[in-house]
Amino acid sequence: MLADITRLELRLRRRSAIGYAAGLALYTLVVVALYPAFKNSASLNSLSGSTAAALFGVTGPLTSPGGWLNGNIYGNFFPLIMLLLTIGYGAACLAGQDEDGTLALITALPIRRRTIVFQKAWAMALQALLLAAAVTVCVFIGRGFHLTVGSGNTVATAAALTLMGLDFGLITMAVGAATGRRGTALGIGTGLAAASYLLSSLAATISAIRPGRYLSLFYWSVGNDQISKGVSLTDFTVLIVAGLCALFAAVAAFRQADLN
Amino acid sequence: MTAAIETSRLCKNYGPTRAVIDLDLVVEPGQVFGFLGPNGAGKSTTIRMLLALQRPTGGRAALFGLDAAADSVEVHRRVGYLPGDLELFPRLTGRQHIAWFARARSGVDGSWVKQLADRFQVVVDRPVRELSKGNRQKIGLVLAFMHRPELLVLDEPTSGLDPLMQHEFESLLRETVTEGRTVFLSSHELDEVQRIADRIAIIKQGRLVAEDTVEGLRRAAPQKMEVRFPCSVDPAELRAVKGVTVTASDGPQVKLDVTGEIAPVLKVIASHDPVDLISRPPGLDELFLGFYRDSPEGEASHAR
Repeated sequence: MLADITRLELRLRRRSAIGYAAGLALYTLVVVALYPAFKNSASLNSLSGSTAAALFGVTGPLTSPGGWLNGNIYGNFFPLIMLLLTIGYGAACLAGQDEDGTLALITALPIRRRTIVFQKAWAMALQALLLAAAVTVCVFIGRGFHLTVGSGNTVATAAALTLMGLDFGLITMAVGAATGRRGTALGIGTGLAAASYLLSSLAATISAIRPGRYLSLFYWSVGNDQISKGVSLTDFTVLIVAGLCALFAAVAAFRQADLN
Repeated sequence: MTAAIETSRLCKNYGPTRAVIDLDLVVEPGQVFGFLGPNGAGKSTTIRMLLALQRPTGGRAALFGLDAAADSVEVHRRVGYLPGDLELFPRLTGRQHIAWFARARSGVDGSWVKQLADRFQVVVDRPVRELSKGNRQKIGLVLAFMHRPELLVLDEPTSGLDPLMQHEFESLLRETVTEGRTVFLSSHELDEVQRIADRIAIIKQGRLVAEDTVEGLRRAAPQKMEVRFPCSVDPAELRAVKGVTVTASDGPQVKLDVTGEIAPVLKVIASHDPVDLISRPPGLDELFLGFYRDSPEGEASHAR
């Protein structure tokens, strides 16, 4: 049984969560269905290794199953949509609702503020999991199109991407709780995610910024070709610790927040 | 008996702006307590501190003897709250709001909620975004009263309600205090407050400027008089009487405010053989405006 606030949040975000998941699932299906047409294209492979390709999250050969998925889904669109969802929700669920004036009614209920944050974080996680599940199912359907990657890696990468999305979503939520401003939270959350993406993508080809990739949450989720190599325990640990830090920052900020 | 609300030296600053200053307030149980003040006087800020939505800069607020902030969960269980600028979830219907809040509070009596919704003729089947302000306000009232709280904190509760619903609201308040529960309401509706409130506090620029029963405040308020004499009278003669303020003087027509004893001024008036005299008790609105105009400048703060 879902907690009351989680249930309310999912009810309020139902359309957008289903919309994101259906849209990305459709896109994933198209990508996997196109794989047979491209898997023997030598010219496509010549793209990889360039800085331009790196900008789009392409780090390996494009025609291998892992490369095709990385270059078209895991390296760019999947994290992009995941971040749109989690950062958007992170900004809306505290700061946005406070600006809208609906948060006061919820906060005046006999529920601890930290419980409100936890229940909203759980609602964020469930929306992100729905998105990840939709992509994962469609990638498995890709086996019918000669697109075979390990089941463990597919699930683990989706989990890592979900965690990364939650990390940025929770950071955004914490900024929203601290500032009470949806716009500020969106700006900082998006800015950090964009910087993280660039750092991880460009570090693959620009040696000067290579050491900086460890600072990027993208690197720990998909930037190190996890779809082919698998997600390591270290990757998961970094992503989980970052998420817990952001969650506790959000709780601390919301407990101190003055609401409208 | 423990006070329903007790604040001591409660303060709230927003940067250099002082919104609430050293507010000492005691609301005894079983009464309707009216909290009056113009826009930006600090009413809503005070209410938000009572609900622990905002943290005081200084001082303390206690409800039922419990600290408003530290014991907020227990306090919220016993309080019904209607925010000043009520905002609901636009896509949800009235029924969905009521069902969700009833479940979140747990132990809410369904038949009482239905009775409340019927009484206020709540539109339950349409999304809130399609409802008028008054219809949204009615949902807010149901949410505040649904768990029969010991204390109702209502910020501008009748805004948007039509006269019929205002009447219904007033009778609900009377029933509430008859049951020994307490209502703390802020309002601009002075007429309404003088009808329903047992005690009234007036706040101006963050400070409490008056607190008494309606009768007590009325006694302290000036009596309005209009006198017509057969010929012109020197207003200075009337002004010389203690407690008299001449508010207008036009030849034989004089308007006065009289505080305190009325006999001395009547003697002076009688000595001029007046043709006509109208005297009426002050309404709370005059009293209220009087407090605003008359408060010494020294009390002015920087409240928003």
